[in-house]
Amino acid sequence: MELDLLIKLGLELGKIVVIAIVVLIFMMVAVLYMVLKLRWVIARIQSRLGPNRTGPWGVLQTAADALKLFQKEDIIPCGADKWLFTIAPAIVFIPAYLVYVVVPFGSGLTAQSLNVGIIYLSAISSISVIGIIVAGWASNNKWSLLGAFRGASQLIAYEVPTILAMIIPVLITGSLDLNEIVSSQGGGIWHWNLFHLSGWPMLPLAFLMLIIAGLAEINVAPFDIMEAESELVAGFNTEYSGMKFALFFLAEFAESFTLSAIVVTLFLGGYQPPLHILGGQLTGLAFSAVSLFWFMFKCWLMVLFIMWVRSTLPRVRVDQLMNLSWKALIPAGLVNLLLTGAYVVFWMPK
Amino acid sequence: MKSTIFKDTINSFVSIAKGLWVTLVNWSWRRPCVTELYPEQKPVLPVGYRGMPTLPVNPATGRSGCIGCGACARMCPEEIIHVVVDKTDPKDRKPAEFTVDISRCMFCGLCMEVCPTHALKPARTFELACRTREGMVYNLQDLMRLGGELPVEPEEETVS
Repeated sequence: MELDLLIKLGLELGKIVVIAIVVLIFMMVAVLYMVLKLRWVIARIQSRLGPNRTGPWGVLQTAADALKLFQKEDIIPCGADKWLFTIAPAIVFIPAYLVYVVVPFGSGLTAQSLNVGIIYLSAISSISVIGIIVAGWASNNKWSLLGAFRGASQLIAYEVPTILAMIIPVLITGSLDLNEIVSSQGGGIWHWNLFHLSGWPMLPLAFLMLIIAGLAEINVAPFDIMEAESELVAGFNTEYSGMKFALFFLAEFAESFTLSAIVVTLFLGGYQPPLHILGGQLTGLAFSAVSLFWFMFKCWLMVLFIMWVRSTLPRVRVDQLMNLSWKALIPAGLVNLLLTGAYVVFWMPK
Repeated sequence: MKSTIFKDTINSFVSIAKGLWVTLVNWSWRRPCVTELYPEQKPVLPVGYRGMPTLPVNPATGRSGCIGCGACARMCPEEIIHVVVDKTDPKDRKPAEFTVDISRCMFCGLCMEVCPTHALKPARTFELACRTREGMVYNLQDLMRLGGELPVEPEEETVS
C-alpha cells in the first residue's frame, strides 16, 4: 500500500521534472533564435547585413554569444551586496520561467491547467519587478539604481492597464482558465476574440491596450526607458557580467515570448486553427500536433510584430510614459471594463 | 484645448502607422544594403582617391620619374620620406634609396604636390595593415610595385 503510493509519487515527480526540463529547453532555444532573428530583422530594417559570419548565414551567432557569456569572469563590484547581487538574476528569471506553466501550447499541451490561469499569469509576472529593484540596489551603482527606480515605476504603472485589458476577454468568455478561453474561440477566425462580433468595440480596444501596455511591461523599444543606453548605461543590469547577465537577457526575451503567448491566447484564438478545414476536424494527438503548430505560428507572427515595433519607434520620455499609462490607458481601460461589464450583464446573448 | 487632445491622439496613431509602414517597406522589399561585406566585397574607390604616395613606373624606361631631388623629403610634415640620390651619372639623376614610413604618414599629399616631375602619385589602395613596424617602411621597389605602371601616353603624331 505504502509502496504503491511512493511509486505514484515518484512517477508524478518524474513527470513534473521532465515537463520542467522540456519547457526550459524550449525557452532556451526560443530565446537563442529570437535574439538572432531580432538582429536580422533590425538589420534588414536599417539596410544593414546583420550577423552573417558565425556559421552559415550567421545562425550560430547567438550560440557563440552564449558560449562567450559562459566563459566570462563573474564580477561582483566592490561595495555591492553580495548575496542580493547573486540572487537578483534568479528572482527575475524564475517568474519568467514559471509563467510557462499555464500557457496552453496546444490542445492538451499545458503543463498545469489552472482554473485561475490569468490571475496566476499576471501575479507571477509582476514578481520580476522585485528582482529588478534588488539588482539595481545591490549593484552599488547610481545608474543601476536609477534604472531600477524607473523600472519599478514603469512596471507598476503598466501592470494596471495590462490587467484591465486581460479582464475583457475573461468577462466575455466567463472563465479565468486559459484553456477554456481558447476552446471558446474555436471554429474559425471569426470566432477569435479580436474579430468576434460580441463586444465588438471593447475587445479590439482591449487588444490594443494589451499590446501597448505589454510592450511597456517587457521593456522593449518605445518603452525601454529603464535601460535607456544614452541616459543610464544599461539600466539595472549595468554591473552584471557573465552568467548573471545571461540570465537577465534570457528572462527579457522569454518575457517577450510570454507576451506574444498571452495576446495569442486571449485574442487570437490560441491554438485554434484559423479555418476549420486547417486542422479543426482532427481529434486527439493529431489535433495536439496541429494546434501546437498553429500556436507557435501565431506566437511567431506576434514576436515578429514586437520586433517590428521596437525597431521602428523612438524611445519615449519618462513623463510621457507615465502620462500614457495613468492619463490615457487606465481611464480608457476602466471605461472599457464598465462597458463590457454592462454588456455582459444586460445585453450579451446567453 | 479639447480639440487639441483629440487631434493629438489621432495624429499620434497616424504617425506611428506611417513609421511602421516605412520600416515594413524597408523590411519586406529588400532594399540595397548600405553596408558592405568587406573582405569579400571591396568598396568602390572614388575618382581622385588619395592613398599613400607611390612611384609609378614608366613602362617605356622601366623607371619612375623621380630625379631624387628630395623636395618631398623636405616638405613632408612628418619627416618620414628619406631620399638618397644616385650621383653616378650627373646627367641622369635617379634615387638610390627612397623609403616612406607609412605607419606615420597622414596622407596629406604635400609630397605629391611638391614633386617637380610629378613622379609621386597617390595609390588606389587602403589595405596597408601588417604585423610589424618594419613592414610599414616601404622602399623604392615596394613603392614602384605599388604604383603600378603609368598609362602609356599616345605618341605625338608626326605631321607629314
